[in-house]
Amino acid sequence: MASTSSKWSEENDYANEYIHTGVQPISHVRNATMPREGYPKLEKLHQLKEKKVSEHAVKPYGCRIAAHLLMIQKLNSWITDHGLVFDVIMIGALVENQFILPLLTNLPIQKLCAKPGYLFIWATTQKIQELTKVLNNQNFNSKFRRLEELIFIQCNQESGGGKGFGPEDYQTCEKVPLLQRQQWHCWMCITGTVRRLTDNHLIHCNVDTDLQIQTPQSVHEGPSAVPDAMYKIAENFSNTNRRLHIIPSRIGYNVPVRPRKGWVIMLPDIILDNFDPSTFQKELYEKSKVNYAKSNQPQFLVPQSAEIEELRPKSPNK
Amino acid sequence: MRDMEEYIVFIEFLELFQSQLVEDPIRGRMDVIHHIFYEKFPETNVPDIGNFMSYVNEFNDLCGYALEFEGSTVAPVLVNVVWDRVELLENALVGTRNKPKIQQQLTSEPSSENKENKLTLSLKKLLEEPFVSVLQLYSKGFDLSYNRLDELLKAKTSFSILMTEKIKLKTEFKKGPEVCEDANHCNILSNAIFNKSGLNAKNANIEQKQAHTLLQQNKHLQSTDAYKCSQTKVHFLPIFNANTDLYLGDCSYLDTCHKLKSCRYLHYFTLKPSNNFQPLPANERLQRISYVDHDFTIGDCFTEYTRKLTPPQWINCDIREFPFPVLGKFAAIVADPAWDIHMSLPYGTWKDLELMHLPMNELQDEGIILLWVTGRSLEIGRKALTTWGYKISDELIWVKLNQLKRTIVTGRTGHWLNHSKEHLLMGLKGNPVWVNRKVDVDVIVSGTRETSRKPDEVYDIVDRIVGKYARKLEIFGRDHNVRPGWFTIGNQVTGTTIYEPDVQKRYNEYKESRNKS
Ligand SMILES: [Zn+2]
Ligand SMILES: [Zn+2]
Repeated sequence: MASTSSKWSEENDYANEYIHTGVQPISHVRNATMPREGYPKLEKLHQLKEKKVSEHAVKPYGCRIAAHLLMIQKLNSWITDHGLVFDVIMIGALVENQFILPLLTNLPIQKLCAKPGYLFIWATTQKIQELTKVLNNQNFNSKFRRLEELIFIQCNQESGGGKGFGPEDYQTCEKVPLLQRQQWHCWMCITGTVRRLTDNHLIHCNVDTDLQIQTPQSVHEGPSAVPDAMYKIAENFSNTNRRLHIIPSRIGYNVPVRPRKGWVIMLPDIILDNFDPSTFQKELYEKSKVNYAKSNQPQFLVPQSAEIEELRPKSPNK
Repeated sequence: MRDMEEYIVFIEFLELFQSQLVEDPIRGRMDVIHHIFYEKFPETNVPDIGNFMSYVNEFNDLCGYALEFEGSTVAPVLVNVVWDRVELLENALVGTRNKPKIQQQLTSEPSSENKENKLTLSLKKLLEEPFVSVLQLYSKGFDLSYNRLDELLKAKTSFSILMTEKIKLKTEFKKGPEVCEDANHCNILSNAIFNKSGLNAKNANIEQKQAHTLLQQNKHLQSTDAYKCSQTKVHFLPIFNANTDLYLGDCSYLDTCHKLKSCRYLHYFTLKPSNNFQPLPANERLQRISYVDHDFTIGDCFTEYTRKLTPPQWINCDIREFPFPVLGKFAAIVADPAWDIHMSLPYGTWKDLELMHLPMNELQDEGIILLWVTGRSLEIGRKALTTWGYKISDELIWVKLNQLKRTIVTGRTGHWLNHSKEHLLMGLKGNPVWVNRKVDVDVIVSGTRETSRKPDEVYDIVDRIVGKYARKLEIFGRDHNVRPGWFTIGNQVTGTTIYEPDVQKRYNEYKESRNKS
């Protein structure tokens, strides 16, 4: 017996198929383009939430500033001089070389983040261990708790003409990794407390999943250093209106970061440079449902509707 | 008063560095800028920062404040250069260059004829190493295009190309059926099988064979298209019955739904192609010689072609007590521990520390380990691998598919988000030259089966990395995990079967010693 035969198999083995045909396993996922296909109620919920978020979102803000020391200075001045606080803070993007560690270690992030508040931190498989160390140190760990580890899967685009970042760029010669990389990690952390059962004005659980796939459609829209899907997870989860995205490295023009409604984006080469603390705060009051109920600190909420409340997944009562 | 000429030097300087001055790593710090400037233009006679600042301020006065500063007056930071103003001044000054000098205070430059030279000289100096002009680089056959550089760095090496080709030759192609995306077909076929035959799929557990027989009998109800398609592709047939409410959409649990009879959501019957097990058409069949056909033998075992795969071996034992040296050494280890995550699972769970303290170093000198983790145990898993002396080389993500080959997006509530994937950590020990790298991708796309059963794709992926004939161990295995080439241990496997004589000998000795004590 000297030949590798082929045979029909009852089950699909997409890893095996990849070896022979080069077709990515991930491309066999049938709902990559329309994730909620077959679930009309969930789809409706997403549409309703998207509309609400958009209606109450502040205009897109950009803050163009060099990474990462000047960023820290600027953020510190936002905290101390302007009393700015954000409910959702995303740090990083689909870029290998970022100053995420120095930013996290030098920034009083717990002051910048509201309570409750949420952090979304990007990492590659490579970086995740360094980051684990920082996130596990007593100082950080006592303030932030990890809720989920999100995965974004990026199909390698052979025909992409070298455009866009893949998670394994520039590592071809190293001894690790043993596999071709297609994944990005994004940690979702919380500070303060929310109760999943009762704090539905603050958060909505289970609207999204912990896995997002780059769709052929999103490839068509052009490369981006931040997938829309990840912004949406944050917007769907937290019903609050102050969102900040810090990207502590230059991105370049091949994979731009697009300004986004409802977000302040801090990046050395963001196209828009219009952020001004007082304008932002003024707009926040106009656009949000301001809630003074429980704490001294006002909460800036995206108001929800009865229909959304009806449709959203509920945690089982225990 | 300085010579106007001297301000031209500063313009040259600005033009040379442009926005670099305000960016990383200089970031507009005037002490740094002074240093750079004075090094390049020592003849400007501004040896200390005080001199330099008054020189810069004069310049700024002259050009209508082209330089914008921030920070204190003690340590100002250059934040912006208004180029239009610089240009205006430049035009004005270049005009003066040809005029005779009225005031000449510079003593270091005795001959005024060489004024042009002074500039050229300083420019030349600037072009010396380590600064290289783009033109010079072009002449060396290098272009500075980012894309070119990017491509070069990302390019696959011949080694990895050959490796991939070799593994392709050695891997049997298991071609699975395609899914038909024509909703019309699915409705037609569903109608022919269920509605017309009166079969209730929710009650009757109908067999594939029966379904295909019904299709044949009701051939007249279908289009030829749909009928033909049913022979080669998978179809998901919607099952409508009295209590199905179409507006609700699909059941979150689909074929794993426990309330099939009362559930008002839509369920499906998977109709597999009828000619599933016929051989591939000749043109699709790969006729390749596996070990003669390639000369690329790096990483291969030289006795490979005489080897036979060891039949499945397993030992029922309590892993906490079993002496690992009995088993020998392995090239690859797979472990799927029942993590103690406060869930009521039908089998005993493991405490974090117990796992961490397993003497894993006895099982492997160099090679790979794969550890399944979920949720909270992700963190402990990463720690365990490091504790055992592994470097975490990769993470495999299992994208879990449901019956319809879609990701799970709903119905798995109770967490913050729905969970549609699991993580398999991969650790590397030592520096094995025999592992094959970067053949597979770090994403497994595969369906879910019984609770906590993991996809079989992992076994072949491991084979491709460490080789088919390498010794491989699975810890915490169950009966469905045993397979040729693998040793499976755990308290969930039935009985003990050993083929390797040395392992058998050590196992017998261990048993004897245990009986004695
Ligand atoms: Zn079909
Ligand atoms: Zn159901």
